[in-house]
Amino acid sequence: MKISKIALVLMLSISIISCSSDDDNNTEDLTGQKGQLVLKFDNGVGDQDFIFGTSYNKSNGESYKLDQLKYIISNVSLLDSEGNTFEYPTEDNVFLVDEANGNNAGEIWITLDNVDAADYTSISFGVGIDQERYLRGADGQGDFLQIAQDAGMLWSWATGFRFVRLDGVFSSDTVTDQALNIHMGSVGTSLDNYREVTLPFPNSVLVRPSMTPEVHVKTDIATIFDGPTPVNFMDGYDQVHTDPIETPIIANNMMEMFEVHHVHNN
Amino acid sequence: MKKLLLICVLISFMSCDKSDTIVEYEAIPIDFTIPSNFPALQYNLDNNPLTEAGFELGKQLFYEGKLSANNSIPCAFCHEQAFAFTHHGHTLSHGVNGGIGLRNAQPIQNLAYQSEFMWDGAATHLDLQPIIPLTSELEMDETLSNVIEKLKADEIYQDAFARAFEDGKINSENMLKALSQFMIVMVSSNSKYDKYVRQEENVQLSQIETDGLNFFENKCASCHATDLFTDQSYRNNGLPVNPMLDDKGRFNIFENQDDLYKFKVPSLRNIEKTYPYMHDGRLSTLEAVLDFYDAGAVDNGNVDPILLRADGSYGISLTAYEKESIIAFLKTLTDNEFLQDERFSEY
Repeated sequence: MKISKIALVLMLSISIISCSSDDDNNTEDLTGQKGQLVLKFDNGVGDQDFIFGTSYNKSNGESYKLDQLKYIISNVSLLDSEGNTFEYPTEDNVFLVDEANGNNAGEIWITLDNVDAADYTSISFGVGIDQERYLRGADGQGDFLQIAQDAGMLWSWATGFRFVRLDGVFSSDTVTDQALNIHMGSVGTSLDNYREVTLPFPNSVLVRPSMTPEVHVKTDIATIFDGPTPVNFMDGYDQVHTDPIETPIIANNMMEMFEVHHVHNN
Repeated sequence: MKKLLLICVLISFMSCDKSDTIVEYEAIPIDFTIPSNFPALQYNLDNNPLTEAGFELGKQLFYEGKLSANNSIPCAFCHEQAFAFTHHGHTLSHGVNGGIGLRNAQPIQNLAYQSEFMWDGAATHLDLQPIIPLTSELEMDETLSNVIEKLKADEIYQDAFARAFEDGKINSENMLKALSQFMIVMVSSNSKYDKYVRQEENVQLSQIETDGLNFFENKCASCHATDLFTDQSYRNNGLPVNPMLDDKGRFNIFENQDDLYKFKVPSLRNIEKTYPYMHDGRLSTLEAVLDFYDAGAVDNGNVDPILLRADGSYGISLTAYEKESIIAFLKTLTDNEFLQDERFSEY
């Protein structure tokens, strides 16, 4: 009897708690509220953290070491639980992810300001620069052209961004420490290597004026070479620049290298 | 009440002070009309509205040595007005520290009507084109951020950027937009030929000029098309390859074999003044150019089929009178109003 009384009280209180928390969610009016969101890009190779100068093996027996690893992220947008999309303002919506700028944990942080308060369920972003932004020329670039040029992400022989830049060396069973340079982007309007990815969040990302959630995006750099279309350095993928066959393969592989590993709702 | 008055007086003093020292954005638009014989504008002016102050800033930057590493090579160094903004007779461009570029400087005129720039189309937006010479080690050998730092330190530019742009920022976006504004306004559309085709001022072509125009339309205008005198395509015209330069042209962009030795069909406006000719400036007269098309082209492996003659050789057969009259016609494309327009002059 005693036990069942306790159980009843417990059940009642649970139902009240769950009711009230449901009510809270439904009635919480977030209109006009803003918050911050931090994207932490954390480059890795398979189950290892990425470290400059460390040799990593490919599936075909080739190996590589990098001393530069950079890429451009743009057009970040967030989908919330009600189906609304929040687009970060176009002019500020382009970011350089440069491993060399990482913190001690190898994370590159991108802080998004003035994000609409909401419960977000997925994120989309582009790798590189889309054609629309190219067509605007200098308009809306602010000082990103300077930032990109200082980081070696702007071509000088032609106008355009390098979307990804990997520099280092590779070895195979026949060669040792040969130059490895992946410097690719779009070329004019005829070679468009911009790609968009959408990543679901493992749990809702709660942006509030008082909460700055952190989204931990892990990448697997190996996917660039061992992704949906595995490539061999010895077949010419040690130097990828503007080739209309090679560059889209790398771009498509690269799309698959991102995942949201976990989220902190702080 | 007294307090309120005091505050009012203070505010009015403060605002006076402000307007004396802070230069403000001046959105005085520039009247930009498209000549009736021109094709459609390619530049989207909505993204970069032309203003007097923007144009003036662009001009100042065009003549500014600080855009180069040694502070002495402005854009105008290789783009002189009297030669339709080319490099007065130089085959190849010169740059900082005695550097010699790889190609002949092209004229700056009517660029807002084109969508790709440079001999190989390496620039796909007018705004971004200046980055190429600015960063080339052989030309200006600078970086955007270094140039921006130099401009930020200069009071003249602090004011000029404030007048020219709403956000007043000295950054690469606004610097490139100003340069574009200057270049967009650089339109050559008042040659004798233009006045003739637009039937202005009763301008007539002479007999030999008319003959030249007819020959031109039959033998040249499929590539030198429209009143811009370029179809804006890339073609290999059978120019013998100079092994010293081995310039592969558009091939350098996509590494596509079909693009080997292709260069952009140049406009012929002010062609009389933009000598020497071809991408490497190897031909110094118009006579030499027409002699080349008549009898100098070689099969370098990828010549434009439009130049294939019945006998299997490449070129455009031209009689002596055809050459003479075509040159007479080409000289009607000289636009002295443009070449002497004070709006574009340094002083």
